[in-house]
Amino acid sequence: MSTGNIGIPTAEFLASVREALGRTDEPPADPYAPLQDDLAALTEQAATVRERVARELPDLSRQLGETAALRGWNVARCGGVEEALDYVVSLATQLGATSVARSEQEVFESVPVDAALAGVGAMCWPAVYDGPEGREAVRRRLAESGMGITGADYAIAETGSVVVLPRQGLSRLVSVVPPVHVAIVRPQDILGTLDDLFALRRLEFHRDGAQGNGDMGSYLNFITGPSRTADIEQTIVVGVHGPREVHMVLLDEE
Amino acid sequence: MAEVATREFVAASQAAVRDEQLRQALRRAGSGFDGTRREAIAEVTEDVWEDWRQQARSIKEHTIAHLDYYLAMLERNVQAAGGQVHFARDAAQANAIVSEIARQQGVRTVTKSKSMVSEELGLNHVLEEQGVDVFETDLGEYIIQLAEETPSHLVAPALHKTRGQVAQLFAEQLGVPYSEDIEEMARIARVALRQKFLEADMGISGANFLVAETGSLVIITNEGNGRLCTSAPRIHVGLAGMEKVIPSLQDLAVFLRLLPRSATGQRITSYMSMVTGPRRADDEDGPEEFHLVIVDNGRSRLLRDPALRESLYCIRCGACLNVCPIYQRVGGHAYGWVYPGPIGSIVTPGLVGVAQAKDLPNASTLCGACRDACPVQINIPRMLLHLRHQQAESDDTNQRTVSDTDKALAQGFATVMSSPWLLRLGRLVGRALSAPLARSGKIRQTRLPLVSRWTRARDLPVPAERSFRDRWRDELSKGGN
Ligand code: SF4
Repeated sequence: MSTGNIGIPTAEFLASVREALGRTDEPPADPYAPLQDDLAALTEQAATVRERVARELPDLSRQLGETAALRGWNVARCGGVEEALDYVVSLATQLGATSVARSEQEVFESVPVDAALAGVGAMCWPAVYDGPEGREAVRRRLAESGMGITGADYAIAETGSVVVLPRQGLSRLVSVVPPVHVAIVRPQDILGTLDDLFALRRLEFHRDGAQGNGDMGSYLNFITGPSRTADIEQTIVVGVHGPREVHMVLLDEE
Repeated sequence: MAEVATREFVAASQAAVRDEQLRQALRRAGSGFDGTRREAIAEVTEDVWEDWRQQARSIKEHTIAHLDYYLAMLERNVQAAGGQVHFARDAAQANAIVSEIARQQGVRTVTKSKSMVSEELGLNHVLEEQGVDVFETDLGEYIIQLAEETPSHLVAPALHKTRGQVAQLFAEQLGVPYSEDIEEMARIARVALRQKFLEADMGISGANFLVAETGSLVIITNEGNGRLCTSAPRIHVGLAGMEKVIPSLQDLAVFLRLLPRSATGQRITSYMSMVTGPRRADDEDGPEEFHLVIVDNGRSRLLRDPALRESLYCIRCGACLNVCPIYQRVGGHAYGWVYPGPIGSIVTPGLVGVAQAKDLPNASTLCGACRDACPVQINIPRMLLHLRHQQAESDDTNQRTVSDTDKALAQGFATVMSSPWLLRLGRLVGRALSAPLARSGKIRQTRLPLVSRWTRARDLPVPAERSFRDRWRDELSKGGN
């Protein structure tokens, strides 16, 4: 069941805004540059971003690790898949996690955490809802998991953030409900700045849709360090409603 | 009626200045937030910072000048993403919209992440009256909901409370052992709210920004409650003042740089979530419905006056509060409505009417610290003077007594602005606070719905039929703690 539009009609609301502004119904006289949506221009812009990132990758990767550590991530730089798996396994062991939730993402094909964790008696399971258990069961299981592992759709060197785009296979809850979140970042996930990210997302948005009416995806999430609050006497406490501990596994190569 | 807010500011600030615990809390918070803000600016260098401010300012100028155009674009793109947009002229309409969605959808439990607009609307009471349980989930908001108070700061709602007061509150209202351990208090809140997140039918959030190009709602938080509120329940309702829109996704970058640094000195918050419509068919989770409620509620009054229009550029970072000598003395509650501090002194008269907030434009030393701190370069002192002029004029035409203070402050603009502010600070603070005391008057319970929660929080606690804290005591005694 869907709720119809309630409230005052759009036209009426906009007319009152116009009236307050003392203007008539007209678009801005000059096109607003950041709204440029010409596909060729956006494609070129994105290619420029990708080229620069490829060129500066070693620096960006170092910057990402340093900034992420400052923002509260435990950063584990790993020379290869074996090292990454060892890190995840020893973390699960330390935590005594017997249930580990993960997303269903490409990265787990090259970083097979399930088998590695099974070796130490931890059950690693994909948090997807289409299984026989259904939504409520998955949520309950998530709430009982000691750790959640995801990949990164992007990682931003400027801010030390992991960006995930929840979608099929990638629950919004895997990275927020368990008390510990591990994000596996591959070199190709790394970007320099917020501007880089938004340039790439704008291209995706305008390319995907008909008549420039693309799909952003329902959610885009920046994660930068643990959940925290300073609401009582400006004293920082971690792990309020989200994870108290976050780990960035930074793969130097796959 | 007209004098209500006037008397309130005076009486409340008088009480606040005598409240030693409040003074301590304000000192700690003000110097803390402002110190880290300055460090964050130094880190990127003043030049870069000025460049960002200029960019943000230009974006806001452009957007507000074409607000109708961008709101239309926003609506189109929210709809294209499968969401619904509702426009509300005032608080009553906005409340009716949310309450109607809740009714149609059979909503029983709501979890909320922080929304100043919802405070402005008094939404919780409206929902509670129709039998919906509403849970604030931001720790600061949770504390003040439990205490049946109102926020005293834009980004730190429970700033006025000491840890001892919170411990006392938790012990009394939740029946947990008294503990001043802040980690323990946060744990109590987490345990109490975790189940609510998963049970709730509806999540309500505010919006830091709305991106017209993509139809997205952006919230930035630290606790993770915003992520849960927008992800777990089957309905998500976003509430936003109509000024929150920015044109392009690209425009978001500079605001993500400015807002956390200005608010708490953080380089970025733990989370930034961008919501574009409801869950897609093959998404694992997310709400089935997304509603965006866009609220005017007096904002077009600020829009209409070119001299006040720039108050709509505000991104609610709170920096102007943290540097304001008056806010630092009296705290947020004295301002008598949702938006305290220097920006509140402009926005409140604009949103509730000048007549109801007469003293607020005088609650300033015009020292200019707010303008210097503002990440969008809002010239707050200029607007305060504009409001004082307006008041002085309308008072004259109404043949009412204009206090000497009002006149002196309004006429003395040039002198005040050109003098070293520190020299005048002591005298002006004293004047702004003490002159109106002569008018005296204790706060009576007002019939004005907009301010009634504030007066109630201080001197007229009205017991709800079954209060929020009763319900919590029940919840916690069920175990799980
Ligand atoms: S007026 Fe400026 S400094 Fe004050 S809250 Fe708004 S954006 Fe921040």
